[in-house]
Amino acid sequence: MQELRFNPLTGEWVIVSTATQKRPVRPSSVECPICPGGLEFQDISEYDIAVFENRYPSLLKNPPEVESRGIFKKERAFGVCEVVVYTKDHDSSIPKMPLYQIKKLVSVWKDRTRDLFELSFVEYVFIFENRGKEVGASLSHPHGQIYAFPFIPKRIELKIEAMRKWYEERKKCPICEVISSEPGERTVYENESFIAIVPFYARFPYEVHIYPKRHISTILELSEKEESDLADSIKTIVMKYDKLFDQEFPYMMMLFQAPPKEDVDHFFHFHIEFNPPKRDKDKLKWMASVETGTWTFINPVAPEEAAQKLREVKI
Amino acid sequence: MWIFRRKISEGFFSLSDKKYSAIWSVEKIHLGFVVKGYIKGKPEKLEILRIDAPRKALAGGWQSWSPFKVIDTKNHSFKIRDWKYKDTPALSENHLSDYLVASNGIVIGFLSSRFAHPYFEIDGDQIVAYLDYFDSNFENEIPIEPLIVLNEGDTPLLLELYARMIAKDNSVKLEKKKPIGWSSWYQYFSDLEWSDVLTNLEKAKDFPIEIFQIDDSYEADIGDWLDTRAGFPSVSDMAEVIKRKGFKPGIWVAPFSVSETSKLFKEHPDWVVKENGKPKIAYKNWGKNIYALDLSNEEVLNWLNDLFSNLRKMGYRFFKIDFLFSGAIPGERKRSESPIISYRRGMKAIRKATKDAFILGCGAPLIPSTGFVDGMRVSEDTAPYWEAKDEGISAKYALRNDITRYFFHKRLWHNDPDCLILRKDSNISKEQREIYAITSGTLDNMIFLSDDLRKLSESEKDLLEKTISLSGGKPRVENIMDTSMRYEITSRGSNSGNIHLVVDLKESKYKLNFDNHSKIDRRVMVKDNGRNFYFYGEVF
Ligand SMILES: [Zn+2]
Ligand SMILES: [Zn+2]
Repeated sequence: MQELRFNPLTGEWVIVSTATQKRPVRPSSVECPICPGGLEFQDISEYDIAVFENRYPSLLKNPPEVESRGIFKKERAFGVCEVVVYTKDHDSSIPKMPLYQIKKLVSVWKDRTRDLFELSFVEYVFIFENRGKEVGASLSHPHGQIYAFPFIPKRIELKIEAMRKWYEERKKCPICEVISSEPGERTVYENESFIAIVPFYARFPYEVHIYPKRHISTILELSEKEESDLADSIKTIVMKYDKLFDQEFPYMMMLFQAPPKEDVDHFFHFHIEFNPPKRDKDKLKWMASVETGTWTFINPVAPEEAAQKLREVKI
Repeated sequence: MWIFRRKISEGFFSLSDKKYSAIWSVEKIHLGFVVKGYIKGKPEKLEILRIDAPRKALAGGWQSWSPFKVIDTKNHSFKIRDWKYKDTPALSENHLSDYLVASNGIVIGFLSSRFAHPYFEIDGDQIVAYLDYFDSNFENEIPIEPLIVLNEGDTPLLLELYARMIAKDNSVKLEKKKPIGWSSWYQYFSDLEWSDVLTNLEKAKDFPIEIFQIDDSYEADIGDWLDTRAGFPSVSDMAEVIKRKGFKPGIWVAPFSVSETSKLFKEHPDWVVKENGKPKIAYKNWGKNIYALDLSNEEVLNWLNDLFSNLRKMGYRFFKIDFLFSGAIPGERKRSESPIISYRRGMKAIRKATKDAFILGCGAPLIPSTGFVDGMRVSEDTAPYWEAKDEGISAKYALRNDITRYFFHKRLWHNDPDCLILRKDSNISKEQREIYAITSGTLDNMIFLSDDLRKLSESEKDLLEKTISLSGGKPRVENIMDTSMRYEITSRGSNSGNIHLVVDLKESKYKLNFDNHSKIDRRVMVKDNGRNFYFYGEVF
């Protein structure tokens, strides 16, 4: 079963996707499926950065037809799910990758965004990375993913609405205002084009946001210099995480771009969120009843304090 | 500002007149407000909004070919180009603009034209927005075409938001990517011979062309689209030859037009729009009187369906449908309904019959066509010369409209800037040819060539490459209210990065700048179950 179902209690779409692990796959001598020679790259001895469409995608370019019955509203599960392999080196990770490789990754993100934006059924393109078993990453080989949705997901819709409202009241973009108003106590890192902060409104302990200083709404607008600076910001933040906690610190890294078929660029400011699930070296910050059920977050670490610790980590 | 002759305020309102009754609301929206409602009865010419006129206004006519530019509201007269505009619905002495009018920091526009024709007049010191329902009588309530006023931002942003709202109101979904093509018109015009087609087909494989389109020339008569003129193979064979060469066949049709000499008119003299019971001349062209098909007639709609289904079956996948305004001229029809309703019946029939094929509208009423076309001409024809007096047909004034109507692009349809004329032996200078191509690319518009391809050398191919490489971004005309014809155009996130283009149509000069942007090598492989694999960077 592969379909979208509408939840009238929250107005959100749920993807029902049960079509996993049914087809038998040819076994491979290489254990990691995304290493050269592994399951996904059986005839490939080497690659630099590779992107491929997920073997068991929850969204499909050609999804089965669906039929809504009565009040139970369904839609076809249009979309694309891609895996982005950052490097052929299994044991690498963002802190170990050379800067030019991360910059290349940014270029790849741009290329994928451009392609996916052009698909008529795509309403949102979400680039992300789950790092660590704490957030469900099953492979340690450095990789991220891209979901191209046929709708604007609920939290993105909420962000758009909040930013729109701010703009209507103040005729300015909220992120531009946050950047110009930040006194520095929450700043973790800064280069010419980007600023990384633990935001005033951080929900997770050690949550970090990366904002471009120039008001842009998608990564397509990044200049070459900004691509380098973004790569530098991402690498710096992950290095700081790993050094501060003396481990491969788990996180969810998420890129928030404007949707392709809306005109929200005047108030929507592209940004990256790092949401780490840990509150300390070996303490998890669970998404439990309050967080999941009410979407209220109780942050046990003051953002200013987290920022100071991360800022002071020398890398 | 007054709405339905009341001073503007938010809320719900109603009124009952002898001839009609209406209910409406005025609601705040992002950066402005919207007027929506329902009406029944016989409203005829209905005043919706009245506002003090700004001195300068961006205004223009109702169809593809109408000029769209900044005018002086105190002292303007649109040069109405002979027959083509004579039958603009509701055209009066005071006529100012159709569908929308804009000025510094304000855009006033209608979001749809489903039943009525929306337009603006000057009344003393005021601009008045009207809906013309002609003689329609509505027994049941119908929606009033919504009107928006956006007045909290810069004009280009407000125009873009306006176009997006039209798209949403008309449920526009851009299903197709814009193709690159070749058209026979601007090299051969109506003198095209079949041998010219064969010659260009041979050369076309040297260009990144997907669509090979035969323009006006092949047909036996206007209306007799399946019969070809002497020297041409059958319409079906034309498609076959183009397909065999590896291109998607495209064809030009003026589907709502019928000439007085055509077989179609002789067989069905009652299928046309009438005036005092006699066929009404919609316009004159090809040295003939041209009538308009009565699109309220079910038999005519069936004929349209058969025509386009047949053409599609023959292999045509690109339809340039032209002189569409004729379908919307006022007059007597089988069903007594507004010409706008009839027009949309015709467009709906063509959209349905052509299925996945690309439809390019031309000479088309703009807003009533939304949702039915994939591409749209937004200017008069271009020409193999730059300048013309009284803003007549010329490359310069075609390009002007492509710039001033940029905001429709990729919201309602793909804007068609008309064909690029790249050959050296036209009466357009090198600089002017570059201006046309580079501006069209920066505006992310459709790209069609129209030269004898034998005449194009490496330098023209390079210009075409450059044009394509400039597309893919979000264009904006930053100084759209400027009257000097020196436009400042930006495009964010194009295939060439962020672009800044200054193009001076008066002086025929331009200046193109862009950010440094990265390029990355990519190889695509399709593997098991049709999954795409992309290999980036160093290609092993
Ligand atoms: Zn591996
Ligand atoms: Zn901003």
